[in-house]
Amino acid sequence: MAIHEILIQQLFNGLLIGSFYGLVAIGYSMVYGIIKLLNFAHGDIYMLGAFSGLVFLSIVAPTIGAGWGSLILGMLISMLLVGLVGVFIQRVAYRPMLKAPRLSILITALAVSMILYNTIMLLSSGRFLPFRTEISTESFFLGPLRLTETRVVLIVAAFALMFIMHMFITKTMYGKAMRAISLDRDTCQLMGIDVYKIIALTFFVGSALAAAAGIMAGVYYGTIHFYMGFLIGLKAFTAAVIGGIGIIPGAMLGGLLLGLLEAFGTQIPFIGTVWKDVFSFAFLILFLIFKPNGLLGRSESERM
Amino acid sequence: MFNLKTHWLLLLVAVLFAFAAFGCGEEAADPVDDDPAEDPADEAEFEGEVLIGIMVPTTGSEAADGTDMENAALLAVEEINEAGGVMGHRVITTTGDDGCDPSMATAAASQLVSEEVVALVGGYCSGATLPTLAIYGEAGIPFVIAASNATSLIDENPGWGFMINSTGLDQAATAVAKFQELGVETIGVMDSGDAYSADLKEQTILQWEEAGYEVVADDTVQRGEVDFSAFVTTIMSTQPDGIYWTGYQAEGALLIRQLREGGYEGVIMVGDGSSAQELIDLAGDEAEGVLCTGPPLTDFLPAAQNFIQRYEESFPREPGAYAALTYDAARLLFDAMERAGSFDSAEIRDALEATDGFEGLAGPISFTDQNTLARSNFVILEARDGRWALVE
Repeated sequence: MAIHEILIQQLFNGLLIGSFYGLVAIGYSMVYGIIKLLNFAHGDIYMLGAFSGLVFLSIVAPTIGAGWGSLILGMLISMLLVGLVGVFIQRVAYRPMLKAPRLSILITALAVSMILYNTIMLLSSGRFLPFRTEISTESFFLGPLRLTETRVVLIVAAFALMFIMHMFITKTMYGKAMRAISLDRDTCQLMGIDVYKIIALTFFVGSALAAAAGIMAGVYYGTIHFYMGFLIGLKAFTAAVIGGIGIIPGAMLGGLLLGLLEAFGTQIPFIGTVWKDVFSFAFLILFLIFKPNGLLGRSESERM
Repeated sequence: MFNLKTHWLLLLVAVLFAFAAFGCGEEAADPVDDDPAEDPADEAEFEGEVLIGIMVPTTGSEAADGTDMENAALLAVEEINEAGGVMGHRVITTTGDDGCDPSMATAAASQLVSEEVVALVGGYCSGATLPTLAIYGEAGIPFVIAASNATSLIDENPGWGFMINSTGLDQAATAVAKFQELGVETIGVMDSGDAYSADLKEQTILQWEEAGYEVVADDTVQRGEVDFSAFVTTIMSTQPDGIYWTGYQAEGALLIRQLREGGYEGVIMVGDGSSAQELIDLAGDEAEGVLCTGPPLTDFLPAAQNFIQRYEESFPREPGAYAALTYDAARLLFDAMERAGSFDSAEIRDALEATDGFEGLAGPISFTDQNTLARSNFVILEARDGRWALVE
């Protein structure tokens, strides 16, 4: 492989990983935008999505198989279920804390995260579980680029979800309400917007996207684990900060950028795979120092 | 902010947590040393008794393997007693729990020494075995080490420890020999950043380059990493004939999948950290044909099939990975006592040193002048039809 072929391959790898980060980061960013909460449980929602997808697949696999059809069905059902879990968590854990000091709700989010992953740890006996599908893993070439069916479908699906999300935020009344609440919650309430309903909707959408990313990661890597959400939660947070936290297109952009940074960073001599996370979190620190509002962010006086 | 009531509540919770943590610590530190394998049968047949110690982790994270090892030693003792004991003496045992923890191991070792054991078998976690070597050396008690095999044990051994499991050096040699046999000329290596896998990788690189071949890709991942695309891209551009992964199964399975999906068709070999069945379960079809330099696990030893049956008759569980080696360790010790013709610790030590081809389940045992096994007992396993199978 010549150097340009490596670069093209890594570009694709970076975009694929970046689109997972982006999908998770959207939820992170939306929740921050609307209630100023860094939802540390968001990574575990992603993990929950992967596990519910696996459960669905293992139920339907004997009858209708585990091809793309059942996978898409499983993804939709998991998005719905996990979205509802997100709404439920919001209702019982976060809503009572909305008027409390911000630190309290942050700690609540940590507790929710622990409850989620410990529950799944007990249910899965803490083991790594194989995520089996019947999708072909044969690879083919597109120019110098080596692809598999899975990779192509996943990247298309991830970008489609991001696009749908973008349209939802910018073109619908609900999206408009979300943006309005993130600007000024009290005024929105005075203007007759059902703020709690919109907050619940935000959690539903954010959790559903994270669940979709979780299933996609399960299909892509073939293994899932109760702790898989921890690192991606941190990465999504990083992506959200890079893009400008609270800003939806920023989260997508930040995710993609982070994916690319990692893919190319690990190809630099002496920065092997082991330094990948150091590399991305070092970028987070640089961003926090030099551009704390992120790529697309406006300046704001108060941040967590 | 907080009112006084919340404050007290928080304090109460904190105190409760502290108690819970303390309670756990105490429970874990309780050594299980009152477990002699005494057969209440006719004592009159024996001329006397000889006490040997078993040091394994019977609590903590490695308790399962430790208990298997203890059971295996007890089985060997039971069998020798049924056959009339060692030189007419009944063998009795006492177990020290090292908890896979250096400080617990030190306490357990002192306890065993004070109980005046004649000799010892056991040793699972290298980290726990390490500090006990000096204690047993000072007390002059020979210790047949069944499983622990870190290279650091060799330097710390004052001469009273005898390692019957091969070390990392041997594993690297086995890997290098297998690659050579397969006609591999360039390899890529990867470890998971911890001392064990990094050491194995370094040894492999050293021996591979010494043999006149080339390492074209060398990388490290963190435990818990899921994405290996950077390494896969490097591999696809350098095209080594073989790849050796020295880490553990969770990351190993992902690596295998991503290498195969990325189009790599060469030999993939994994170290003993990945020798669990889980590797194959996680990697699925992609694992087919993957090789492994495995320890002589009980299941793969042709000579051990009888042993497995006897073990399962005596204990309500399957013998674990290191049961066969521990059984070998105990039998070697009895053999050394017979050869020494005495229960004097120093004479037993000399007899152990002079061991020449003692037939164990895991193959013949002789020692180098560093008291390590004179040959590599690592075996090559291959993933076939979703199971590890021994490659002859």
